[in-house]
Amino acid sequence: MRSCSWRCDCTEHDLAKDRTISRLREKLHSLLEQTKKAEPTKPLKPPLPTIYVITPTYARLVQKAELTRLSHTFLLVPQLHWIVVEDSPHRTGLVSEFLSHSGLAFTHLHVATPHERKLQEGDPSWLKPRGAEQRNEGLRWLRENIRSQEGGVIYFADDDNTYSLQLFEEMRWTQRVSVWPVGLVGGMRYERPIVEQGHVVRFHTGWRPSRPFPLDMAGFAVSLRLVLANPEARFDGDAPMGFLESSFLQSLVTMEELEPKADLCTKVLVWHTRTEKPKMKREEAMQKQGLGSDPAVEV
Amino acid sequence: MLKRRDILAVVLIVLPWTLLITVWHQSTIAPLLAIRKGQMSLIEGRVAITNHQKMLEKREAVPGPDLREYCSSDKDIVEVVRTEYVYTRPPPWSETLPTIHVVTPTYSRPVQKAELTRLANTFLHVPNLHWVLVEDSARPTALVARLLHETGLNYTHLNVETPRNYKLRGDTRDPRIPRGTMQRNLALRWFRETLGQNATQLGVVYFADDDNTYSLELFEEMRSTQKVSVWPVAFVGGLRYESPKVNGAGKVYGWKTVFDPHRPFAIDMAGFAINLHLILAKPQAYFKLRGVKGGYQESSLLRELVTLNDLEPRAANCTKILVWHTRTEKPVLVNEGKKGFTDPNVEI
Repeated sequence: MRSCSWRCDCTEHDLAKDRTISRLREKLHSLLEQTKKAEPTKPLKPPLPTIYVITPTYARLVQKAELTRLSHTFLLVPQLHWIVVEDSPHRTGLVSEFLSHSGLAFTHLHVATPHERKLQEGDPSWLKPRGAEQRNEGLRWLRENIRSQEGGVIYFADDDNTYSLQLFEEMRWTQRVSVWPVGLVGGMRYERPIVEQGHVVRFHTGWRPSRPFPLDMAGFAVSLRLVLANPEARFDGDAPMGFLESSFLQSLVTMEELEPKADLCTKVLVWHTRTEKPKMKREEAMQKQGLGSDPAVEV
Repeated sequence: MLKRRDILAVVLIVLPWTLLITVWHQSTIAPLLAIRKGQMSLIEGRVAITNHQKMLEKREAVPGPDLREYCSSDKDIVEVVRTEYVYTRPPPWSETLPTIHVVTPTYSRPVQKAELTRLANTFLHVPNLHWVLVEDSARPTALVARLLHETGLNYTHLNVETPRNYKLRGDTRDPRIPRGTMQRNLALRWFRETLGQNATQLGVVYFADDDNTYSLELFEEMRSTQKVSVWPVAFVGGLRYESPKVNGAGKVYGWKTVFDPHRPFAIDMAGFAINLHLILAKPQAYFKLRGVKGGYQESSLLRELVTLNDLEPRAANCTKILVWHTRTEKPVLVNEGKKGFTDPNVEI
């Protein structure tokens, strides 16, 4: 545009400006229309049921790493709400900071396992059932805060397992309790329910198949509605080895009512991986000399 | 003297472009914002989460950090609807971001599919990532081929078999060749043969083993590597972490390790990234195959490429942990017995 000194007679320029103004008004109008179309104010499909994932966790060297890679999976799952329950008398800074930066919808809870139920140093991992108090705390929070009309499904996901994305879509529409195979558990390549004519008839497992529900924590999901309708259902921390899942499920459902997923329980979509405890011999030796690594650097 | 028409004209010119830029900004830059602190508000879908979280926090007595501070500026964006954006992965390819070529050697064992699955779930968040998966096998396996295809990631699937030592019983590899070496070298050769001509595909090479754990921030730290960048790695060398030593001038002058800190590069495979230009400029540089002492693998390549002075420290001058050398337990398949209890046709 040619510059116009205020002293000159700018009649011609004014007309050009007017045209420019009206052209720009039209352009603005059409752009506003476009952005309105890109952001519909009404959702076109009915909302997805929320998957409430309850993860008990406890402080140890690999905790942050485990939670980090777990969060990467969860970030890819629509309508997921992560309930993290620390085995601790208070919320730790590590987990609080981590969750607030994770990008996920979360609830941060904590409850300390009573001393007599805790595994001691050197105990094999199977000696005492773990995470019962923490899972119960997650259930308590859901019962107090979520209304059943909202629908939803609850899944107990330990922080060291591995979950495929497909698993979450399999469990999302659970009516009561749905089940599927779990890889690398029970001393076998996988454990799974056996399905005949669309119903679970027994369980393929290498260990105590006579349990009411011989499946792993990672192998089932429960509808929120069922849990809210059964306020007494909880995990029994004193249950014998391998009976933790049964202690919860037997008050909710019978084997016949189980909903088989993952292609009628023929596909492995979750693995019971376990992470090695990192070797700290050199660190311990250094710390004895007062030369340990900087504790302010969080791992 | 400015007339009212002039002001109106300027506003009407500037406003549409501002609108356009806002819409464009949300769709392409959003993936990068996912990892920046406090930037949750601009990502569609995450806003709904932020407010839900706010609502939940009100009901608990939170002695921890006040998360409401994060959300105070989000009031204006409350109306943004959760779109499908978050679930369209990987993020759209950008013409301007350097590519991160991740080289992962892998081999068949019960936990392989699980490891690759959770690794893929991490990579799906990283823009402009090219995964070069190299199997230790005579042929590409169907398991890996299917997995790679289903992830939707940009990938290259290679394979080379480490020679077996037939003198030892069973299917044991030659123990004199460090694990993964031939596979990493194949990837280096592939880069030199395939990408040498195509300048736009250049970027950064990172050697990522399939059982480690990687934060999303790590990939953004390495993306700007000019020659070789370095950072701390947790759980290696028998310590909480090993780290390069960085002086006040931001230069690496040594290594904070207990195990042989006098190695030329006392660093784990997961602790450095190399600009692809450098790999192409030095076509003879490979990991040494034989006669390499334990812990000297990384040095065998890096000393052909850079000096200590060239190293670029990342992760806040090597004070933050962004990668963990986790190791997965070997599952005890004691109940399979000699003949196998489970159906071998069911893939794990």
